Amino acid sequence: MDWPSFFQSIANGVLIAGLYASVTLGLTLVLGVMGIVNFAHGELVMLGAYSTFWLFTMLGIDPLLSIAITAPLLFLVGIFVYRFTIRPILKDPPLNQLLLTLGLSIFLQNLAMILWKTDSRSVITSYSGMSLHLGMVHVGATRLITFAISVALTAVLIVFLHKMRLGKAMRAVSENNTGSWLVGINVQKTYMLAFGVACALAGVSGSLVSTIMYTYPMVGFKLSLKAFCILILGGLGNISGALLGSLVLGLTESFVGTYVPEGSGWAEGISFFLIIVVLIIKPTGLAGTRRE
Amino acid sequence: MGSSIRWKTTLPLAILCAFLLLFPKLVGSYFLHLAVSGILAMILASSWDILARTGQVSVGQAGLFGIGAYSSALLYQRYALPPVLGMLAGALIATFVSIFLGYLTLRLRGIYFSITTIAFAEALTVIWLMTPDITGGAMGVSTPPLFGGDREKAYYLILAILAAVVAVVWLIEQSRLNFAFTAIRENEDVANVLGINPTKYKVLAFMISAFFTGFAGGFYSHYNTYIIPYEVFNLGVSIACLVMPIFGGLYTIAGPILGTVLIKAIEEYLRVTFSYGHQIAYGLILVLVVLFMPEGLLGLWRGKILPLFRSRPGR
Amino acid sequence: MRKDAPAKMTLLQVDRLTKHFGGLAAVHDVSFHVGEREIVSLIGPNGAGKTTIFNLVSGVYRPNSGDIRLGGESIAGLRPFDICRKGVGRTFQIMQPFPKMTVLENVVTGALFGRKPKVSMKTAEGEAVELCRLVGLGDKLKAFPKNLTVPDQKRIEIARALAVRPKLLLLDEVMSGLTPTETDEAIRLVLKLRETGATILLIEHVMKVVMGISDRVVVLHHGEKISEGPPFLVVDDPKVIEAYLGKMVDGEDEPAC
Repeated sequence: MDWPSFFQSIANGVLIAGLYASVTLGLTLVLGVMGIVNFAHGELVMLGAYSTFWLFTMLGIDPLLSIAITAPLLFLVGIFVYRFTIRPILKDPPLNQLLLTLGLSIFLQNLAMILWKTDSRSVITSYSGMSLHLGMVHVGATRLITFAISVALTAVLIVFLHKMRLGKAMRAVSENNTGSWLVGINVQKTYMLAFGVACALAGVSGSLVSTIMYTYPMVGFKLSLKAFCILILGGLGNISGALLGSLVLGLTESFVGTYVPEGSGWAEGISFFLIIVVLIIKPTGLAGTRRE
Repeated sequence: MGSSIRWKTTLPLAILCAFLLLFPKLVGSYFLHLAVSGILAMILASSWDILARTGQVSVGQAGLFGIGAYSSALLYQRYALPPVLGMLAGALIATFVSIFLGYLTLRLRGIYFSITTIAFAEALTVIWLMTPDITGGAMGVSTPPLFGGDREKAYYLILAILAAVVAVVWLIEQSRLNFAFTAIRENEDVANVLGINPTKYKVLAFMISAFFTGFAGGFYSHYNTYIIPYEVFNLGVSIACLVMPIFGGLYTIAGPILGTVLIKAIEEYLRVTFSYGHQIAYGLILVLVVLFMPEGLLGLWRGKILPLFRSRPGR
Repeated sequence: MRKDAPAKMTLLQVDRLTKHFGGLAAVHDVSFHVGEREIVSLIGPNGAGKTTIFNLVSGVYRPNSGDIRLGGESIAGLRPFDICRKGVGRTFQIMQPFPKMTVLENVVTGALFGRKPKVSMKTAEGEAVELCRLVGLGDKLKAFPKNLTVPDQKRIEIARALAVRPKLLLLDEVMSGLTPTETDEAIRLVLKLRETGATILLIEHVMKVVMGISDRVVVLHHGEKISEGPPFLVVDDPKVIEAYLGKMVDGEDEPAC
C-alpha cells in the first residue's frame, strides 16, 4: 500500500472538514434554535468571502485579520435580514420558510453576479504557497491555519452555548420556546441574536473560504449543498452530528479524489450522492435526529 | 341562470383558444419563438404546481427536465428515434426516475425532499460531466432542427402538450385526487388517519409532474438543437419552475400560466439589461411573494382587486 | 381491581401494550378491551398516557410490545391509513380540520378514502351531507373551519371521523373547553351515536361526561392501568382517589362540576 498518499488523504480530508464544519455550524445554530433550514446561509459565506477579497485587494488587509471585520459585518447583515425577512415568517409553515430563504439565496447569488461578474477570484498572500512537512504528509499553511481557526470557532461556540447566558437562552429556546418565555427569556430577541451569530459565523467561514478556494458567486451555494449533506449525515440540528458529518464528507471526498480514477471530478458530486445514499439507508441521518 | 354563467367562462375561453390556434398566422418568427419558449415554461410551471398540491416543494425539476432532454437527444443520436417518440421516451424515463426518487424521499418530511431534489439535479450534472462516452459530457449533444426547423409545427406540438397538462390538472381538480392532495398538503398526519396513504399520492403527483417536465425537456433538446449539462440541469431551471406558479398563484390552473407570462416578460427585459444575474428577479419575487402576497397574483386579484369592482354597485 | 368478563362481543382488545419514548415509558403493560356497542372512557391525570394509547390504536405510533386486535385481527404496527380502512376513526385533542376546505369537503375527505371498498364522489358527498346534519352542521356546509365556533369545529372533527364509517370511534377530549350547555349537547350527540350502533372509546376530563355516558372506565396513571370497571365503582377505588381525585379537587380539569 502507498502509505504516504493514504496519510496525505487523511490529512487533506480532516483539514477540509474543518472548513465544512465552520460553514455547517451557523446553519446548525439557526436550525437548532429556530427550526429553520436557511438556504441562504452559503450566500452569507459567499458575502464574507467577497468582503475578505476586497479588503485584501483594495486595502491590503490580511484575510485572516479581516475576520475581525467580516464577522461583525455579517452579524449586522444577519440582524437586518432577520428583522425584515425572517421575523415576519417565524410562525409560517416550513414551506414558506424554505421558499423565503431560497429566494434570498437566489437573490444574493445573482446580486453577486451583477456586482462582481462570474470571475473566480483568489486571495494570494505571502504565506499562501508555504507548506509544512509532517512526516510523510505535506500540509499547506493556509489550510492548517483555516483548520485551526475552525476548531477554535467550534470550541468557542460550544462554550458559548453551554456557559454564557445568551448561549444558554438559545439552547433553552431550542428545547421549548413557550417554556423559555415563561422563565423570562425574550424569545424574539434570542432568535435575532442566534441568527446574527450564525451570520457572523458565516462571515468567518467566508474569510477562511477566500484563502483556500476560489471566490465566485455560486461558491456559497456549493457550500450550502455540502452543509446540507453534513446535516443529513449528522442528524439535523446538533453540533456533534455536524462535526461528525463534516469529517465523513471531508474524508470521503479526499479518498475518492485520491483513489478513484478521475476522482477529483467525482469528488465534487460526493455530497449529492451521500445525501441520496444516506436517505436510502437511514432516513433520520446517521447520528439520529431530534427534529423531523 | 346556469347557461349565462357558462357563457361567461366559455366565451373568453373559446376566444383564447382561437387566438392561440391562429397565433402563428398573426406574428413573425421572433414572436413565435418567444411563444414557444413561453409555453414550454408554462408546462414546467404547471407540472411543478401539480406536485406542490401535495405540499412538496421540488427544487430539482431541472434533473427531470435534463433527463427528458438527454434521453430524447441521445435516443435520436444513437438509434435515430423520431423526435416526438423520443420526447415520449424522455417523459417516460423521467417518470420512472421520479418513482425511484419519490419512494426514497417522499415518505420523509418535506424539507428532506426539497434538499434531495437539489442534490439530485446537481448529482446528474456531475455524472454527465464525468461520463462523456455515454452522455456526451461537457461538449453536449446536438440534434437536427425539429420538423426541419418549421417553428409553426413546433408551436402546435408544444401547445398540444400544454393543453394536455391543463386537461390533466382539470381532471385532478374534478376527482378524488384533489381531496387527497389537499388533505396531505394541509395536514399529513390527519390525512393519514383518514385513510389516505400520503406516500402513494405524493409519488403519484411527482410522477405526473415528472412526465410533463421530461416531455418538455425532450421538446427543448430538439427545438434548441443543442444541449449541455450546465444548461439543462441548471439550478436556474429548477428555480424558474417554482417561481412562476408561486408568483401567479399556487394550486390553480390559471396561476402558473399567468405567473409564467409575467416572469418571462420581466426576465426578457432583464436579460437585455444585465449580461449575468437576470435571475435576481426570481429571488426578489420569491421573497416578496412569501412576505406580502402568499396567495400570488390570483390571490391578490380575488382578495383585493375584485372586491373593489364588486362593491361599486352597492355604493 | 375488577375484571369484567366481556358481556358482548369484544371489538377492541388491547393486550399488554407498551410504548417507550427514549427511556421514558409513556404506556406500560396496559390491557383492556372495548365490547361492541360499548362506550368506554379512558381517564387519568395529564401525562397518564391516554393520548399515547389513541396514537397506538390508530397507528400514529408503533408499539414497542404488546398487541392490539380489532375484531380478533391484529392491527398493531399497521400504518394509520390501513387501520382507518379496517374501521377505526378518531378525532384529535387539538382540533385539526383542514383549514382550506369547507366543512362539507372536510367530511367528504373522510368518506372518500377512509373505507373499503371505495365509494364514488357522489355517494361520499351524499353521506357527508347526512353526517353534517347528524352532528348539527347542516346549515354550515359551505363554511370554512376558521369562521366557526369551537364546538362547531369539534363537530367537524366528529363528522369527519364518522365519515370513515368506523367500527370503533376514538374521541379525544371532544367535550373539553365547552360550556355546560354545549357539553350537554355533545353528550346527547354521543348517546345518539351509540343508538346508531357505534362503539366508542373516549378520553375525557369532564367527570360529568364520564359518569353520565360510560359503560366502563379505564383509569391510567403514569402510563399504567390502575383501575377498570363501571364508573360508580371506579370513583370509589382508593388507588384512583389517590392518583386522580387529588387532582380533581384542585379543580383545574373540572369546569363542568
